[in-house]
Amino acid sequence: MTVLELNSVQKSFGTGHKKVDALKETNFKADRGELIAIIGPSGSGKSTLLTIIGGLLSPTSGDVTINKQNITSLNEKSRSKIRLKEIGFILQASNLIPFLTVHNQFKLLDKVKKDNMTDSELKQLCKDLGIEDLQNKYPADLSGGERQRVAIAKALYSNPSIILADEPTASLDSDKAYEVMDILKNETKNKNTTTIVVTHDIRLTSYCDKVFKMTDGVLALDNTLI
Amino acid sequence: MFLAWNEIKKNKLRFTLIIGVLMLVSYLVFFLSGLANGLQQMNRESVDKWDSDAIILTDDSDKSLYQSSMDVSEVDEIDTDKIAVIGQMSTIARLDDMKINVSIFGINDDEFLMPNITDGKSFTEINEVIASDTLKDEGFKLGDILKLSSSDDSLTIVGFTSNARFNASPVLYTNLETLNAVKFGDYAEVNKDQINAIVIQSTDLSTIKTNEALEIVDTETFIQNLPGYTEQSLSLNFMIYFLFIISAVIVAIFLYVLTVQKISMFGIMKAQGISNAYLSKSIVAQTFILAAVGVTIGFALTLLTGAFLPSAVPVSFDLVKMLLNGLVLVIVAIAGAVFSVLTIVKIDPLKAIGG
Repeated sequence: MTVLELNSVQKSFGTGHKKVDALKETNFKADRGELIAIIGPSGSGKSTLLTIIGGLLSPTSGDVTINKQNITSLNEKSRSKIRLKEIGFILQASNLIPFLTVHNQFKLLDKVKKDNMTDSELKQLCKDLGIEDLQNKYPADLSGGERQRVAIAKALYSNPSIILADEPTASLDSDKAYEVMDILKNETKNKNTTTIVVTHDIRLTSYCDKVFKMTDGVLALDNTLI
Repeated sequence: MFLAWNEIKKNKLRFTLIIGVLMLVSYLVFFLSGLANGLQQMNRESVDKWDSDAIILTDDSDKSLYQSSMDVSEVDEIDTDKIAVIGQMSTIARLDDMKINVSIFGINDDEFLMPNITDGKSFTEINEVIASDTLKDEGFKLGDILKLSSSDDSLTIVGFTSNARFNASPVLYTNLETLNAVKFGDYAEVNKDQINAIVIQSTDLSTIKTNEALEIVDTETFIQNLPGYTEQSLSLNFMIYFLFIISAVIVAIFLYVLTVQKISMFGIMKAQGISNAYLSKSIVAQTFILAAVGVTIGFALTLLTGAFLPSAVPVSFDLVKMLLNGLVLVIVAIAGAVFSVLTIVKIDPLKAIGG
């Protein structure tokens, strides 16, 4: 079932001779249960694509549809609601609030959104991710790997349709990076979500169902890297 | 509240410092308001005790009790039931080495200006006085004979009464005969019918008619025209108003700096879909907590300080006024948080997360 669809999406910055096509006309589909990697060098347009999918950036033209709802024409307030309901973010520098314990990171989401995981589901998720003993710790007390695992749990906790991970392994050593990809793969399959990972580390593509390569704003399927 | 409280719990030192600053500002506001109130009481408490609605003074006295002088027969022309005459003079009373500026009120003991007696008895003979109990605190006692700077006569304290200060001087209540004797000396007989003013209790002042040489002044206006009263009150009130502004600015600066430091964090939360409204409410809640705690501690500290102050310090705490001032401090602190709220609203989550 298609969760995400991009139709003729294009993004340019600047005008006239200073115009830069960060993302050339792109068509893209993602189904439930898919772990997709988008790889490419810095400046190729990966993050632009990710932020357009996440409703943080409006495309110059084209439509982005999440669960059959076109988010392109929505205002920021409505897009914010879509992000809260449909999208889980995992960012390079982790998306944890420094003054909240691991337990309270989830509680914050309960304050702003109702249909999150149940207590037993959260307990199981934390167990799966090996963070059940970190509940009373603050982000500063966690290692890089632990922080990323908590960030993954946080992204999954709100039962999103799509997880967008921007360089989720960038600050981790190889073992920890593989561990994180393992977790993302398992959770994508178990929860039947769609996970899109932006990375420039091709070693991680073996975990993915599809791999897209981004070069100078052009997105192309390249499953040879799986 | 959730975010606000958890941030305070995690960063205790940082927020303790902000609470400390707010506590000091509120302490200063409460203390100044106590001082303003105390100074006002020193000027007006005897007039408040009259429980009057107006005072009739001569038109050319410029609403000053000292400058007003009339014949007691004026009373007959005033058509109202509750009426009392008053004669007044200021002098220095002396007892051994103690000298004190006093205001002497000459009154009739069967009229409503007659004060309640907290110690001793009422004046019945000439040269007997009921003194303000502030004199008691100064070391004066029943039976003391006071020499006056402006007269050869002496006055004997036969009783004490509470709340009896007028224009910052303790009041000695006596009968008109005694007042006129010490006021006019050898000419007392000629001036035996002289009074300074007529005090009235009437809810409808418009029905009271006087001759053209007299003026009906409502009690509050009379108090406002006491020498130095308005100037003193205005000065202290201006200081309090400035402190309100200062506290708003302090809170605004502190919260703005804290918010700017957290732009990236707010951006991440906004990227996750947490609304501006939720984040703004969190800032307002945090400001409320900080201001409420700071003001409460300042309030308690002020009352504690007041308990240990010597009686010479003219501080009088009006709890209702203090609570109102505290409320204003909390409100202006929240107003100071508006800059931070605007900053949060303007944060672009894309830029904040480095997109």
